Amino acid sequence: MRRDFLKGTAALGALAVLGARWPAQAAEAITMWHIFGAETEPGLKNIKRWNETQAQQIDQKFVPFGQLSQQLIKGIATGDVPDLITIDNPVVASFATQDALEELSDLVRASRVIKADQYYAGSWGTTLWNGKQYAVPGEANTLALYYNADMFKAKGLDPDKPPRTWAELHHAAEVLTDKDKGVFGTAFCALQSEEGTFQFLPFLQQSGASLKTLTSPDAVAALQLWTDFVAKGLASRDVLVKRQFEMTSSWLAGGSAMVISGPWELQRMKDVKFNWRVATLPHREGKDIEASALGGYVWGVPKGARNKEAAFKVIEFMSEPAQMQQSWSGGRLAPVTTLQVESPVMPEAYATFRKQMEVARPRGPHPRWPDISAAMQTAIQEALTGRSPPDAALKKASLVINPILERTPIAGL
Amino acid sequence: MRKSLLFAVAAIVSGFYLFPVYWMYASALKLSDELNANPPTLIPHAPTLAAFRWIFERENVAQYLWNSLLLSSGVTLLTLLLATGAAYSLARVRSIWMDVMLVGVMLSQVLPPPLLVTPMFVIFRQIDLINTLLAVILATTTKTLPFAVVMLRTSFAQVPVDLEEAARVDGASRVLAFLRVTLPLARVGYIVVGTLVFLLAYGEFVYPVSLLNKKALQPATVGLYSFVGADYSDWANAMAFASVFVTPVIVVFMLLQRRIVSGLTAGALK
Amino acid sequence: MRDHRRRQLERALDSEALWPLMVGFSALYLAFFVGYPVIYNLIMSVQHVTLGNIRFLVRPFVGLDNYAKLVADPLFTMVVQNTLLFVVGNVALQFLGGLALALFFQQPFPGASFFRGLILAGWILPPLVIGAVWKWLLASDNGIINYALHGLGLTSGPVYWLSDPATSLIGVTMANVWFGVPFNMILLSAGLAGVPRDIYEAAALDGAGPLRRFFAITLPLLRPTIYALLALSTIYTMRAFDLIWTMTHGGPVDSSNIFPVWAYRLSFELFDFGGGAAVSTMMLVVVFIVALIYVRSVRAEQLS
Repeated sequence: MRRDFLKGTAALGALAVLGARWPAQAAEAITMWHIFGAETEPGLKNIKRWNETQAQQIDQKFVPFGQLSQQLIKGIATGDVPDLITIDNPVVASFATQDALEELSDLVRASRVIKADQYYAGSWGTTLWNGKQYAVPGEANTLALYYNADMFKAKGLDPDKPPRTWAELHHAAEVLTDKDKGVFGTAFCALQSEEGTFQFLPFLQQSGASLKTLTSPDAVAALQLWTDFVAKGLASRDVLVKRQFEMTSSWLAGGSAMVISGPWELQRMKDVKFNWRVATLPHREGKDIEASALGGYVWGVPKGARNKEAAFKVIEFMSEPAQMQQSWSGGRLAPVTTLQVESPVMPEAYATFRKQMEVARPRGPHPRWPDISAAMQTAIQEALTGRSPPDAALKKASLVINPILERTPIAGL
Repeated sequence: MRKSLLFAVAAIVSGFYLFPVYWMYASALKLSDELNANPPTLIPHAPTLAAFRWIFERENVAQYLWNSLLLSSGVTLLTLLLATGAAYSLARVRSIWMDVMLVGVMLSQVLPPPLLVTPMFVIFRQIDLINTLLAVILATTTKTLPFAVVMLRTSFAQVPVDLEEAARVDGASRVLAFLRVTLPLARVGYIVVGTLVFLLAYGEFVYPVSLLNKKALQPATVGLYSFVGADYSDWANAMAFASVFVTPVIVVFMLLQRRIVSGLTAGALK
Repeated sequence: MRDHRRRQLERALDSEALWPLMVGFSALYLAFFVGYPVIYNLIMSVQHVTLGNIRFLVRPFVGLDNYAKLVADPLFTMVVQNTLLFVVGNVALQFLGGLALALFFQQPFPGASFFRGLILAGWILPPLVIGAVWKWLLASDNGIINYALHGLGLTSGPVYWLSDPATSLIGVTMANVWFGVPFNMILLSAGLAGVPRDIYEAAALDGAGPLRRFFAITLPLLRPTIYALLALSTIYTMRAFDLIWTMTHGGPVDSSNIFPVWAYRLSFELFDFGGGAAVSTMMLVVVFIVALIYVRSVRAEQLS
């Protein structure tokens, strides 16, 4: 028995020695943390391209999206930050005001690749705070209306004339809902997370309201639209717990006739067995305001990064047209207006999303965006679960959001 | 007659209980859209190995599994080693300090993993073990050690002191009495705790993701997350990966279970 | 000379000092690796922590402000309530389920150990997978559980397991209980194995029926295992995060929000690190109480 004990200790000792001698990384490598999980991600391809042609290599680490905030915070807390990181665009202001990102204004001004006027105004806006540049847009995405043309035809609706107004949307949803077959007319995401806010804001904005006017009848009308969808059984109750892609999964399986989602879903459309189309979001009748959501990651250089200039060179590389052209293969749009993908796959979808990008509005930017978003999520869920009528739910949210906006306004709001 | 009835009940209960596991395997064989079919399909309409092919082509599954194995084995070894002494002392000695230790051991379990990550990272950076499997082993052991200590303590406490006293009267030292008398009688506890610790470590995710930068060192639990994307989760492939992750352990366990679990029905000390 | 050395070794291996040494090793290990994080959290909970100052240990001291803010938050009562219901429900159901299965499989019949081993398979699945699978099973529109209930005529319409605030906690509890039962079962089985057979036989000869044997013999002898299991189970359930996060994100409207979920949201979504640390410290207090109760039970057992 004692001999086994000694053997075990020796084995442990050996492990310890092995562990401590694991090869350290080359000092010059540019460390990058990113969210590109699948091997088919265009981002990974671009990293490979850089590594093939450049002397200073990128040492990349995949961080699951849900872990990104946590890992970056851990990095900041321990002073062990990567040189380059992909950040979700609405939290840039939070990180910037808490001194967690390097300021890139001078580098951008001097850059020959990155030109402010080439980018969508909304995308560019998310990377600024107080007139200073803290990030560079990496990709862009937005929301549009996917619909099942076959179902439209089957119910006597014209698939070439998708709903253009909320009234038409509501009508189409009513016609397309088929309780016996278990088909919902429409679908969207009202999860208690950033995705819920992401989906709802375009409706709020199209109604002519904003985060500052949550108690206005226009705002209430927007939330009422969603509430009616769920209350009347035109959309599944599970919109409250499912993510956007899960709602699209339902749509792909024939569980709903329409779904509001983004271009990232297009990769899944290859094997779709029905006739599908994408249209820009319907707008509120009488208001004629076109608005959609603006998503996508941005490139940031954490404060204290050891290779700031090299990291910026990588950002420039990623922002070159040759690299940005790759995005569409992964269902992502380049954040620049000047780029047109030559013969893209799914050209109609590409055209629709590009058109929608023109009216995409950023969330914030605001350093306390997470708090604002949390208040919105609660309001949406309270209304959709029937806990509160939409006006009361929005009033409650405004009590949280108004003081935040008074202290620090959102530019242009 | 009675035995066949019990067998039937056991089969039905197990069948019901294992339904979610079946669902995972079935989902791995379905095409993406069938996962969300309405009504849900119990048996895949057109079972396909496409998902399995995908994950084996694109991910280095063998490496992930190997790292998982290393990690779990390392943790099990270290945990049982450290827990033995502590559990035995706590079982035999009564003092306020032992009570304090026991409370402390339990308190160490309370923090949810995300909040442990930052201070853990600091510790491992100080001792220069970042990006090593050893760091993950040490970190994961903090999770399994209290469990092992508490359960082994119970095992040791069930061994009557008189048997040890008898051995000591015969001239054996305390340690020898422990090794010759107590340890064999606590065999069942060791096997069960060892198995559970191994499984606990096999499923560890937060520490590998936080302490390891190199993909080559990552265990399979992290590999699973590469299918859970920012905007979209590749569930068919994720389920295939999960099946590959879980099956070897189940198979090995089933092969060994007669030995492992036989101790549980042997009824013990006579 | 060698004899003397040997006797010295033997005396050393026999000494009273061995006890604290053996415990000390583990204690130091835990104190180092876990004690530091616990203290780190405690310190954070009384400071004003932002991304800007998180890398320093010395940050503005705010006393109990973080705690006061949490208690004043309307979410507080909801989270406390949810945590209480979730923990009590889970621990009880997992224990009872595990006990029933352990007792059942204790009986000798062909395949007993095979099936018992098979049931442990549930515990091997990663929480991500369990969450995803149960989310599918509990889906209100196309979940198989609703289909089964409807088919058996037990319900007239879909049950909104996860999307109805009234039942979301039940939904995540189902998944978590499913996950925890094998753990309970196997530990109780190990405990049952430690009960000597001859005591049963003697009692049976005395005319005691199975129920009487269970309550008079099995249960008391199983007590140490039961206490240990309940204590650990409570602590583990209090920490459950991944499952709930995957299934409902703590919603809808925070109806499945429990302490660890709240702590995560505060720290990593709202960047309120002081608040997140304060929530975990509150959890520490609850666990402390559970640990005290357990230690008392150990004392009582040692006295008997």
